[in-house]
Amino acid sequence: MLFFSFFKTLTNQTVTIELKNDIRIRGILKSVDQYLNIKLDDIEVLELAKYPHLSSVKNMFIRGSVVRYVMLPRSEVDVGLLEDATRREAANQAGKAR
Amino acid sequence: MSFFGFETKLPRDRDGSGSKGFFETSDPFADIARAHALEDDDVIDFEDTYDGLGDQLPDDQDEFNDDTFGAGGADTSVGRDFDFFGKTAQVSDVIGEEQVRYSLQNPNSARVAPQPAAPAVQPAASKTKRSGYEKYSDPGYIPDLQAKSSVWGVSQKKPEPVAAAPAASTASRKMMSLEEVEAQMRQQGHNTSTPAAEAFMRSMVDSQYPQPQHLQTLPDGFPPVPPEFLHAQIKQGHLPPGMPHPPPGMPELYGGPGPMPPGVPLHMMQNANLPPQSMPPAGPRHVGPPQAQRPQQPQLPHLPQQQQVPLPNRTSANGIPVITNPQQLRDLTEEQRNAYLVEDAKRAKRNHKIFLLSRGNGLMTPQDKNFITRIQLQQLVAAAGNVADSDPEAVLAEDFYYQVYSQIRGAPRQHPPPTPGPLRPDLSVSDGQQARADNHMQRMQQQVQRAVEAAKAKPKNKQLIIEGSLGKISFSNAKAPKPMLNIKRPDSSEGPKPKKQSDLSLSDRKSILTNLEGVYSSLMAMEDMERTMPPPPEEGDAEAIQVHMEWRQKLHSLNQKLWRSLKVMEPIVPNSTTPHPFIAFLSYPKGKKAIPRIFRHIDQEQRVTILTMIVVHLDSLDVVRLAQPVPGEAQPSLGVREAIDLFSLAVMPCLLGYVNEAPFNIIIGLLGLVINQTHVQTVARTKVGLGILTMLLSRAEIVKEAGQASEHDWQQWVQKFNILFDTLELGLNDIFPGTISSGDDMYVWQFLAAVGIGASPEQQQRLVIAVKDRVMETVSYSKTLPADMGSQRLSNVNLFMRAIGLDVELLG
Repeated sequence: MLFFSFFKTLTNQTVTIELKNDIRIRGILKSVDQYLNIKLDDIEVLELAKYPHLSSVKNMFIRGSVVRYVMLPRSEVDVGLLEDATRREAANQAGKAR
Repeated sequence: MSFFGFETKLPRDRDGSGSKGFFETSDPFADIARAHALEDDDVIDFEDTYDGLGDQLPDDQDEFNDDTFGAGGADTSVGRDFDFFGKTAQVSDVIGEEQVRYSLQNPNSARVAPQPAAPAVQPAASKTKRSGYEKYSDPGYIPDLQAKSSVWGVSQKKPEPVAAAPAASTASRKMMSLEEVEAQMRQQGHNTSTPAAEAFMRSMVDSQYPQPQHLQTLPDGFPPVPPEFLHAQIKQGHLPPGMPHPPPGMPELYGGPGPMPPGVPLHMMQNANLPPQSMPPAGPRHVGPPQAQRPQQPQLPHLPQQQQVPLPNRTSANGIPVITNPQQLRDLTEEQRNAYLVEDAKRAKRNHKIFLLSRGNGLMTPQDKNFITRIQLQQLVAAAGNVADSDPEAVLAEDFYYQVYSQIRGAPRQHPPPTPGPLRPDLSVSDGQQARADNHMQRMQQQVQRAVEAAKAKPKNKQLIIEGSLGKISFSNAKAPKPMLNIKRPDSSEGPKPKKQSDLSLSDRKSILTNLEGVYSSLMAMEDMERTMPPPPEEGDAEAIQVHMEWRQKLHSLNQKLWRSLKVMEPIVPNSTTPHPFIAFLSYPKGKKAIPRIFRHIDQEQRVTILTMIVVHLDSLDVVRLAQPVPGEAQPSLGVREAIDLFSLAVMPCLLGYVNEAPFNIIIGLLGLVINQTHVQTVARTKVGLGILTMLLSRAEIVKEAGQASEHDWQQWVQKFNILFDTLELGLNDIFPGTISSGDDMYVWQFLAAVGIGASPEQQQRLVIAVKDRVMETVSYSKTLPADMGSQRLSNVNLFMRAIGLDVELLG
């Protein structure tokens, strides 16, 4: 749940998402769910010339499995806290495995 | 009328007020506006609208009409030789009759009420919503001749031409507007626009009572009946036109003690007004022979008439007279009529809404509903874990980052936690719907909570061993696949690992990182402990004191664990090639970052130990050792600079925070350690080293200013200071970083200021001489810089100049 927890803090931030088919979309992250499906608003497709069919799309729902990267605003990430969260996650996993 | 009850007319033939298709619904709202528009001249005079076409019809060739249309008189029959279906149906029909009779004899099912001769062939029937099959269950059915006229395109709904005959004779009568007709229908239909089944139940109940029941349930969206029929039937005293036909398959229960003997099936009564030839052959045990009914037939219309007589003095609850007849509406005053129309519109709106909602009735089976509920529960559970809000530990375990981040940054929580506990009755009473919705939500959440708890509490039986069987059955699912191997993990305490670890050096990379993680996990555990701190115990509350003591005990053991993993107390090996474990710990960025958190959880003694450790190893500290200026390079590499910045940001404030409160003897001791244990000139060439020296010197100065230093201590301090000064004096020019243009040298001036304040006048003299060149250079250099940067550099220099009682202004 670490990633879910993490992305929840990024709602209403502008993120850029690169899909596995190379399309890059920048938009406001509206919501994310446990499958890391993503809802974007006010989207803007980078290199729109390549993907004219997306020129009129204003918002979208992206299935989590097709996302390659999510580029985040750095200022919105609390690295120390994220490190701690990662440690906890690892501890949880280790606890479960046992 | 079409076979399936679909709209068969072309769009151009529709006049809007006609019957709608099977799936269409009437729009009652549209009439509201019209009602207002018509208030003034709500009577459409027939004379005004009739175009007189009827007068132009040649009447002289009407003789053959009967041949063509077969209408003829009541006793003209076309025979039924062609009615193959009817003949076949008779057989099945007899069976049906038998069933009806059986059910009548059986008291439990004797609910089929006596049935009057329903006006099955009344023209309105062609407009009602029906499946279209009803008539075919009638063996004597001959396709309705009047219905056929619609095939010719002569719309029965067009008011003018068709209505001409009856209406013309009563030209003074007003035409009923659509809304009046609807109003009448609604009055009669009451307003229980419930689904057909309910209507049926209702009529069943009603039929058990002697009084005639005319207020039949009227399903909403029922097509309005055209005015001409209304008129005709009101004149005849017939059933009201708004009378709905119950949905197909329902017995028509117009109630009332009809002339028909009870138990006569519907179709028989319908047949009653057909010619004798078309009568079905009565079964031998037929209750009422058809012949017996025939003489009574003329009486039929009168019976409903009595019930139909409008009662003018009947009023509804709100004082508006109950309108059952358009005539009444006309007699009302303007005001009453308005009120009535408004009322009617409201009712229509409500009925329409109910109808819209009821369309989905029975669409989902209970299984479907369960399925949907499960999905919703799943969503609720997954959503932000608000179910587990009552258990902060569980939330933190699953959703640590989000929860803490929200606390730190004050991000609005998407799902405000529900107030746990019982429903709030005060709210539910005071503000109705809102609270009710809340309650639903709460109840839902409580249910979910229970469901989740139950699921958690369920023992996770991974294996099933049936008694007497040789094997085991293991359950598996996607999350916990069936274990193919069953290997017992050795308990970590028993393993030989710890011994092996101690063989290795405590300062190799791996063990340092392990220590680091140990520190962090202890830190997190301690932070968790802080969160769960019990409230401070009150006097005499033994239990609370006990809890508190246990808590402190735990915290203390965690503190010890943290302290051990920090390795501060490892023996110092002089001249060792490997750095001390704690110093190695500090050489990692995350080690540096941990210091502020560690300092929050340790006591003063531990803090001074850490400070001492750092001071003793000052020249082996990475930020000092690697920061030595290399000839030919203006400044250390990027990595080192980052490390220095991080150290300055993370570690130094902690040390400073402690030093500012430290007793003077500790400061003296620390300064002694710097002089004795480290290479002062090397240390002084780095930012961190100078920073620590500045820290000690300025603290000593503050103690002296405050007069807290005893004479003896001060003597000791001055002695140490003199040694430091003498050591440093030779290399004072080297403590500046790089050349004058390389930027930040403020920390150097701060150090020099700290030295200058504590120095004797003679030492100040020597200090000025030593750094005079740098001062002059900086002053002249600052004049070449932009104003703000130049003044910045000058003020840095001034820090020092002021400390020794001078000012850059004096330099001219």
